[in-house]
Amino acid sequence: MRPDFLAGLRVVDLTWAGAGPFATKVFSDFGAEVIKVESTTRADPVRLGAPFKDGVAGLNRSGYFASRNTRKKSISLNLKIAEAQEAVRELIRHADVISNNFGPGAMDRLGLSYDEVRAIKPDIIYLAMPMYGETGPLSGLLGVGMTISAVTGFTSLTGYSDGPPLGPGTHYPDHAANPYHAAFAVLAALRLRRRTGRGMKIDLSQVESTLNFLGIPLTGAAISGKAATRNGNRSEVHAPYNVFRCRGDDEWCAIAVTSDKQWNDLTSILGRSDLGEDENLKRASGRLHRIDDVESAVASWTLRRTSSEVVTELQRAGIAAGMVQHSRTLIEDDPQLRSRGYWQHLDHPEIGQVTLNSPPYLMDGERVELVRPPLIGEHTDELLANVAGYSAERIQRLRELGAIEDPPVV
Amino acid sequence: MDQPYSGLRIIDLGGELSAYASRLFANLGAEVIMVELPGGRSDRHLPSPSLVPGYGGAEFAFTNAGKQSVTIDWASPKGWIVLEKILKRSEIVFLESDAIELLPKILGVPGGRIITATSHFGLKGPYQAYAGNDLVAQAMGGLAWLSGTPGLPPLKVPAEQTRFITSAYAAAATAIALWDLEMKGQGHVIDVSAQECVAHSLQNAPQVWDLEHKVLSRGGEGIRDATEDVFACRGGYVFLAAALSLPASWNGIVDWMMREGHPGADRLLEADWQDRGLRATAPMKLEFKELFEGFLADKHRSEVLEVALRRKIAMAPVSDISDIPNDPQLLFRDFFVDLPHPAFGRSVRFPGAPYRFSEPVWRITHAAPRIGEHNTQILSASDEAARRAYDAS
Repeated sequence: MRPDFLAGLRVVDLTWAGAGPFATKVFSDFGAEVIKVESTTRADPVRLGAPFKDGVAGLNRSGYFASRNTRKKSISLNLKIAEAQEAVRELIRHADVISNNFGPGAMDRLGLSYDEVRAIKPDIIYLAMPMYGETGPLSGLLGVGMTISAVTGFTSLTGYSDGPPLGPGTHYPDHAANPYHAAFAVLAALRLRRRTGRGMKIDLSQVESTLNFLGIPLTGAAISGKAATRNGNRSEVHAPYNVFRCRGDDEWCAIAVTSDKQWNDLTSILGRSDLGEDENLKRASGRLHRIDDVESAVASWTLRRTSSEVVTELQRAGIAAGMVQHSRTLIEDDPQLRSRGYWQHLDHPEIGQVTLNSPPYLMDGERVELVRPPLIGEHTDELLANVAGYSAERIQRLRELGAIEDPPVV
Repeated sequence: MDQPYSGLRIIDLGGELSAYASRLFANLGAEVIMVELPGGRSDRHLPSPSLVPGYGGAEFAFTNAGKQSVTIDWASPKGWIVLEKILKRSEIVFLESDAIELLPKILGVPGGRIITATSHFGLKGPYQAYAGNDLVAQAMGGLAWLSGTPGLPPLKVPAEQTRFITSAYAAAATAIALWDLEMKGQGHVIDVSAQECVAHSLQNAPQVWDLEHKVLSRGGEGIRDATEDVFACRGGYVFLAAALSLPASWNGIVDWMMREGHPGADRLLEADWQDRGLRATAPMKLEFKELFEGFLADKHRSEVLEVALRRKIAMAPVSDISDIPNDPQLLFRDFFVDLPHPAFGRSVRFPGAPYRFSEPVWRITHAAPRIGEHNTQILSASDEAARRAYDAS
């Protein structure tokens, strides 16, 4: 399905990079008109972020950008020029939401503070997503997604138990906590506006948002007084619960035994009745006490099998196990994702075919059909004419002033 | 104060994958009623050092704050009658685990509503019946692959992230479907797969395979800049990001080292440090690590933070969980919420709102309930009688 659930809503989207555009993509994929306000001279860094078709960089060639900006429209302006700022204000006059993920003060410098925007559109929903919030002694701290991991505890908790903190290998908060908290907050504000007529500002500190994804260790420490520390893949309460090497090059599987019965079944599969009969290992606490013995028994079994063989055999016995998959196996091999039509292959004028993740659910049994992302500035004239109501002469005048940044001719 | 979801009733037959999703609605005004079998739902019993019988542990306390609990044996005919009655007055239903069996019956209950079913692999497909949990979902979804050190095992992201990722997607999708229900009267069924949610959170890894036929390795060889790493300093570690795409950060580091007369600055001014590709290679990562950790050796992480702020360098301390309650920024913003919690006989300090609205519409009204805490309040007298009759049988 190509849903129109949010048709009629308009978002003036000044977000860029990772978290912000992933949040507004939720709206465009469901039919809201999301107007991405861009610049060719100061482009969204993700437009210039790898991977590129054939490894050749270009404003319209990034697969990363494509994955975060489906079904949006693009207007390309030079916001240093007053007439371009006026055009944005005109778009806002006809919008429901304005979004940004700049640091504190940047929107003020564009003349787009909450008060200024509210003067144009009193019931606007105004989403701001600075890293550490708009106020406070560290509000000026700069960072990327991994910086958010560092200050929230994700970095400290990710690592081997006997090694230094490593952190998630991605800018993890940009891809989960912050975009979806942001989208949820905007949807809530829109619902309240529908009933009350009042707009609102949302100040989403990406650090505060991310800390909620660490609610379990934070609340656990508040209750017990004991703070969690990094522990590889192990569990505090279950064993064996880890990632094990399998036969093949860099092949791994996850095995998670979460009941004593599963342990008993596992020892049968391993052919280790001696372990199954060992009274000291019948409870998880005993297995945790002798974790090295337990894990080495599992590891010597997995090492002789492919991850797929391990998973098939353990899942047949009702034990949670999974191959450690990566992008190639997810796209090319995984029968579950294939059968559910998870990967969509879109035609793109410059990239050719691009493979993108579907929104991770079926809606009424169907996939949410994606629409390709915009070329930079693709909708500039259309949006100025149809949303801002500008005449052709006025658009031409903006072009002469340099307020419109047409993409370079390739 | 009117809240965004005031007047909305959610029947929560969920579990660990959707608990946080329905909590997001509860804190914005929805009446979220957990309907539990008499023994309590599965996430109450998750083993935890802080487990309190009848209540659950820290995980349950965090992900179910502000909800209500009733016990109904919905698998029995009488129990279903009671459940059906409260379902009729609901707009959203979360389903998980055994409760997914109820889907066909709930579809027959009069009135349009959103039914959101969460599971590890989805409601259909060859892995549909596979057993799952956080570690397995992070493995099968591709997230674990991306963290860790080459040669050592891939690493999960900590703290049960599958539950939060899945809940975040489930909440947003449910809110969108609710918009459609309220605007057009159209109910929806949403089949949320945790594996798909995890696979949706892999940064650009799928596109790197798609367009360049490269599998990103853990450790970021060939991708991550030499500066994008954790560095030891006095009192702990700091994280730095100073790729050439962040010129203020890179120039700030070099200038800082020059002003302190550190010999490494001259090396960083050489031509190879202007080559983005070379900077992502293992030898240059190693060289930068040794050089920068040498520079930081006599500097405390609090001093490093002060320099980062002053010089506009993207650099911050690596906080432990025990540091978070003392974070000066979070304290300044009054982030934490002290919630009285009967299970623990005192207030428990919770992370505060994930977002701040310009009106005070977010709140945690009460702690996660004990099993059946709201039976009398929510079930009408006749329903209560039906439930008791069943319990006695």
